[in-house]
Amino acid sequence: MENDKLNQLWKSQKDNSNTNTPENIIKLAQKQRNGQFLSITILSITIVILIAYTIYCSVYEWNNFTIGLLLMITSLTFRIALETLSLYKKEQQIIALNSKAFQNYLGTHFKIRKMINYGVTPMCFIIYTYGFTLLLPYFKQEFSEGFYTYILISGFLSIFIIAIIVAFSIRKENKFYEELKG
Amino acid sequence: MNIENQFTDLYNTYAPKVYKLCLGYASGVDEIAKEWQQETFIKIWKHRNSFKGDASISTWIYRIAINTCLGYLRKSNRKFQPINENILTTPMDSSSETSTDKDIQKMYSCIDQLTKNNKTLILLELEEIPQATIAETTGISHGALRTRLSRIRKALLKCITNGK
Repeated sequence: MENDKLNQLWKSQKDNSNTNTPENIIKLAQKQRNGQFLSITILSITIVILIAYTIYCSVYEWNNFTIGLLLMITSLTFRIALETLSLYKKEQQIIALNSKAFQNYLGTHFKIRKMINYGVTPMCFIIYTYGFTLLLPYFKQEFSEGFYTYILISGFLSIFIIAIIVAFSIRKENKFYEELKG
Repeated sequence: MNIENQFTDLYNTYAPKVYKLCLGYASGVDEIAKEWQQETFIKIWKHRNSFKGDASISTWIYRIAINTCLGYLRKSNRKFQPINENILTTPMDSSSETSTDKDIQKMYSCIDQLTKNNKTLILLELEEIPQATIAETTGISHGALRTRLSRIRKALLKCITNGK
């Protein structure tokens, strides 16, 4: 009898579920997939161009400029590849695991994310910034004073903004991890 | 029957149940429940080829729905309204439509106090999903499930009735 009360209460809710259509869901899924494909393509092209440019420069002379470029590309590629892999794996587990196993997986997933966030990401960031500073003397030599100042300010400003964004997402992720343990 | 028609059938059959499941995880917030319901069906469409038939289609769908809600909780934390503790101390009353709404809100407040695993079990049970499917979806044995469900029901009813 008491149990019926619970079921009755659950059933008495208004059904607001029919606001979407299957056709719209399919369209959204295709849009999502196209977006992912586009991001990967743009990223791959950027990396290929940077690698090609590094190879082109290193043919003439292997110096701090090529080392700087290489450090920037490697740290960026490594971090992005790690992020993509982590997101891809999570999506696969959503489909494959039962809810108990998925919760266990989420625990492990966020432990790994913590390691990435507090270990790998700062390391990549330091390497990337160091790579950028190695390029600066060459920029100073090659470009006008005004353009060099522009590169200097915009370069460090964008690194600073990225650092804030990364720190903010790490904080958000940790908050969720704590909530998940509760 | 082409693949789009099959998906339409699945959507029409399972969308309301998935919505209510998501509503339970979203503390009764309609906007978030709809977002998660949509995300669930996007995943179902995108990964339709990975369904091998080793579990029933309903188990597969509920599994994706629950895991999506669990995985996406972080994105919507900011949108949740804090639980109104006063609701829990008001006795249950079934005399009018407004009181039913209050009781529903109270029910969600009580569901919110459950652990994530218990929340999953009771939400599936309230949606009248067969216990065998619940066991398969959650990875809990059928025997253990019955005992746990009985305990959760008692705790939930006590909370709704007495606010404890």
